[in-house]
Amino acid sequence: MTAVPTAIADARVAPEIVSSVFYGAAVSNSLALLVAEMSGDVPRITWGNEGAMHLLGYALEDLRDLPVASLLPSLRGGELKLLLRRERTARMSLPVRTASGVFTECVVLCTPTPTGRMWNLRVVSADNEQERALRATADAHERRFATLTERSPIPTLLSEQGMRLAHVNDAFCRLVGQQSEQLLGTGWMACIHPDDLDHVIEQVAVVLGGGDGEAHARLLQDDGGERRTVIRFAHLFTPGVGAGFVGTIEDITERLAFEARLAHQANHDPLTGLPNRTLLAGHVAERFVRGETGLACLFLDLDDFKVVNDSLGHAAGDELLVEVAGRLRAVVRPGDLVARFGGDEFVVVCEDVDEDDAVTLAQRIGAVLAEPVRLGGVDVRPHASVGVTVQADEHTCAEDLIRDCDIAMYQAKNGGRGRITVLDHQARAEARDKLRLVADLRDAIENREITLLYQPILGTADGVSTAVEALARWEHADRGPISPVAFVPLAEESGLIGPLGALVLDETCRQLAEWDRLLGTDAPLRANVNVSALQLDDNLHALVVAALDRHALSPARLSIEITESALMKDPAAARCVLQRLRDLGVQLAIDDFGTGYSSLAHLRHLPVDCLKVDRTFVAELAEGHTEITTAVIALAGSLGLSTVAEGVETAELADQLTRMGATYLQGFGLARPMTGAGAAAWFAQRAAPRPPAVPPAPEETLP
Amino acid sequence: MTVLSLPVPGAVVTPPPLAAAPSFDLDRVLASIDTMAAQKPVAAQIVSVANSDDTSARVLADILAADVALASRVMKLANSAYFGMRGRVTSLQFAVTVVGFTTVRTMATVALTDLDDESRLPPDFWAGTTSVALAASLLAPRFGERPQDTLCLGLLAQVGVALLHHNDPGGYRELLAQEPAFAGRRAAEVRRYGISGTRLTSVALEQWGFPHSMVGPLAAVDDRTSTDGALLRAAFELAARLTQPGYQPVDVEQLTDGLLREDAVGPVLEQVAQDADELRRAMLDG
Repeated sequence: MTAVPTAIADARVAPEIVSSVFYGAAVSNSLALLVAEMSGDVPRITWGNEGAMHLLGYALEDLRDLPVASLLPSLRGGELKLLLRRERTARMSLPVRTASGVFTECVVLCTPTPTGRMWNLRVVSADNEQERALRATADAHERRFATLTERSPIPTLLSEQGMRLAHVNDAFCRLVGQQSEQLLGTGWMACIHPDDLDHVIEQVAVVLGGGDGEAHARLLQDDGGERRTVIRFAHLFTPGVGAGFVGTIEDITERLAFEARLAHQANHDPLTGLPNRTLLAGHVAERFVRGETGLACLFLDLDDFKVVNDSLGHAAGDELLVEVAGRLRAVVRPGDLVARFGGDEFVVVCEDVDEDDAVTLAQRIGAVLAEPVRLGGVDVRPHASVGVTVQADEHTCAEDLIRDCDIAMYQAKNGGRGRITVLDHQARAEARDKLRLVADLRDAIENREITLLYQPILGTADGVSTAVEALARWEHADRGPISPVAFVPLAEESGLIGPLGALVLDETCRQLAEWDRLLGTDAPLRANVNVSALQLDDNLHALVVAALDRHALSPARLSIEITESALMKDPAAARCVLQRLRDLGVQLAIDDFGTGYSSLAHLRHLPVDCLKVDRTFVAELAEGHTEITTAVIALAGSLGLSTVAEGVETAELADQLTRMGATYLQGFGLARPMTGAGAAAWFAQRAAPRPPAVPPAPEETLP
Repeated sequence: MTVLSLPVPGAVVTPPPLAAAPSFDLDRVLASIDTMAAQKPVAAQIVSVANSDDTSARVLADILAADVALASRVMKLANSAYFGMRGRVTSLQFAVTVVGFTTVRTMATVALTDLDDESRLPPDFWAGTTSVALAASLLAPRFGERPQDTLCLGLLAQVGVALLHHNDPGGYRELLAQEPAFAGRRAAEVRRYGISGTRLTSVALEQWGFPHSMVGPLAAVDDRTSTDGALLRAAFELAARLTQPGYQPVDVEQLTDGLLREDAVGPVLEQVAQDADELRRAMLDG
């Protein structure tokens, strides 16, 4: 705001001071002062100091009487009055004409004297060197920034105020397919997807407030296309102006599409394109709310799929799976999920249904699947066993629901082809109980809670025992003793047979080594270890070698017992595995011989040392049926194999079997299964005439 | 009082029927520019401090808070479609940040000069002013100017017109009736008052310390040889096309020495027509 000038005539200021100030002003080279006065109707210069002469290039004589208007030609006509005011100071930026005719930009401050006819003009050049240099530097910065953003391949926005843009670069124009004129101001907001605009504005608000921000936004292109982008905002502050932002845009459309493809691949079956097990689990988990109902799972397993695969080839099998997937997709309601669970198993998930709805859907699926499909020139009518489960109170999590429909499917499968079964509660309880038992068995194996008992095997010739059979026992903390007849098949079904077998083998070897230390030459010469059919693979050899090495035992100390039925599953492979063991020096026995319908031709080629006569045949001896036992012993004899008769409960049976030519006997009536320590005592006691090396163990009883 | 008749390029040529205003005293009008400050101290303080380099949004907001009407206008403008913030501006300090210091200063100047009282202004003053402002803002990039500065320039361009009208309401209405077009009216103003409204604006803005970038174009608007005034000339031309019925357009290429071509005018006119009313409401209604 301008100030009203006050009279300078002040009686308190001594004339010497006035004179001194005037002298200083008159000779000042840095301060340009002029005095103007009305001469008739024309204001003219009447005086100028050194600084004014220097700035304007006039000699004092030339300045005198010069019309003010000739110095300030931009003040045309009456506009000189705007500067030469009567009662007030005035300040104007305007070009001043110098003696050479060149204009120089100046700020002119004009102060009138109280008479209103004389003015004091202070002229300050706005064009000094320092300012020019500063302006040039600022301009250079501006140009550099402009060049940088203009040529940058990164789409860039520059806001002047709020959401209003002052600048967009070519890369942004290309991205959205518009001219910069269409985008400046708030025009660019139309390029942001309406659903994303609020978020973008929120981020801009944060950035204008001084922070940094980032927004994921879809940008709409002129041709109707859409790009997915990340806009990163940085705060900009211009002194005296306010806040704006610089926004850089990263186009992540391709990256997201690639990620989406990866995610799709991770969650979908490549053959059928259906969601896979992972997506199924997530889908059900998202919809599962404990205590609610209405969520249903249908578990489908194609009947006889293996037949198709084996007879028509895998390509036909794949074709069938794709056809089934298509039919399932077509038959379910919109919003239902069809997933490939694995192999020939599919799961359908539906919401807001009761049991009747789910069964109706299962029936519809069954009918649609049963339509013939031509595979390799053959019409095949696919059937599926379907298990149905609708969420109920007992389901505590999404996995429960899927597990239950799996159980229901097995119930359906057990009932015959093409059946639909709603989960039976008793079956669920049993299945869950089995699951718990599997978990306990896993813990028992890990914690070595599976213990071994050893039953001596006695020679018929001298009644001396030189071998034992290792028998696994499991004492469950809550359920008491669990028979190997129960837990071995459980281990086989649940993939625990490997660890269980390894445990038995290792523990037996450890016990043999311990007996060696305790009993020396009186220790059992050999221990028989049972091996499951599922263990009969390439790994078995390494497992046996490792156990023997670990306990420094020779291979001859072990005899591996394999059931006849296990051998007959894949006789060629079995023979190969057994041969390697035999080459190692391990003895081999066929357990339960006579129960597995083995081919005698195969038997001749198997590298075994011993046949174990099954206890059922031995038991028949007491009833006078000697035929099979006699035949087995004779067969072994003719093949050069020894025999072990199992289940010898009485001395009479032992005598009879001895007479029949059995090589060894094993049974409760001769010696019961014992702990390692019990067996040590038993062997020590039998080693006459020396005293026992360990105290006798209490008598063991069979579980 | 010296009354001069200056030839104004681009103006509609008409005989000078209006006599010089017998009672018009330019000095008194110029003096009133200072006295206004005393009547509206908050607005005057904002006008005074807003362009200082060390002024912060907090300082401006603190001062602004003392003038409820002005503060609410700033809030309203910050949330208007013009700034695109969709109601997210909830604090005065943030509003100042969003609209910018120059705009706050402009709004304070509007309050200071009573431009917010339409009853004391020539008819359709704000329709013309917002159109000039928006056109200037939209055309700014073509002229290498900051849109926000030119918006403010356009909003304040007619402060001088308002001052002339305050001091000679009857005479000015008569003048306006005879010369509704901006350019012709400025020539008529010079004939009647010895100074045009825009030139008077430039004097007032300079007196209030507005930067030369705003004062210069106002002083040069009628000097067709000056590129300084080209943007404002074009803005007045576009505003006339939108707001003055029967207006005969002048080729903008001539007005701007080729900086703007007629084919670029259409979209700008459309945008101005769309936003003008919103801006007027934001500037005036408390």
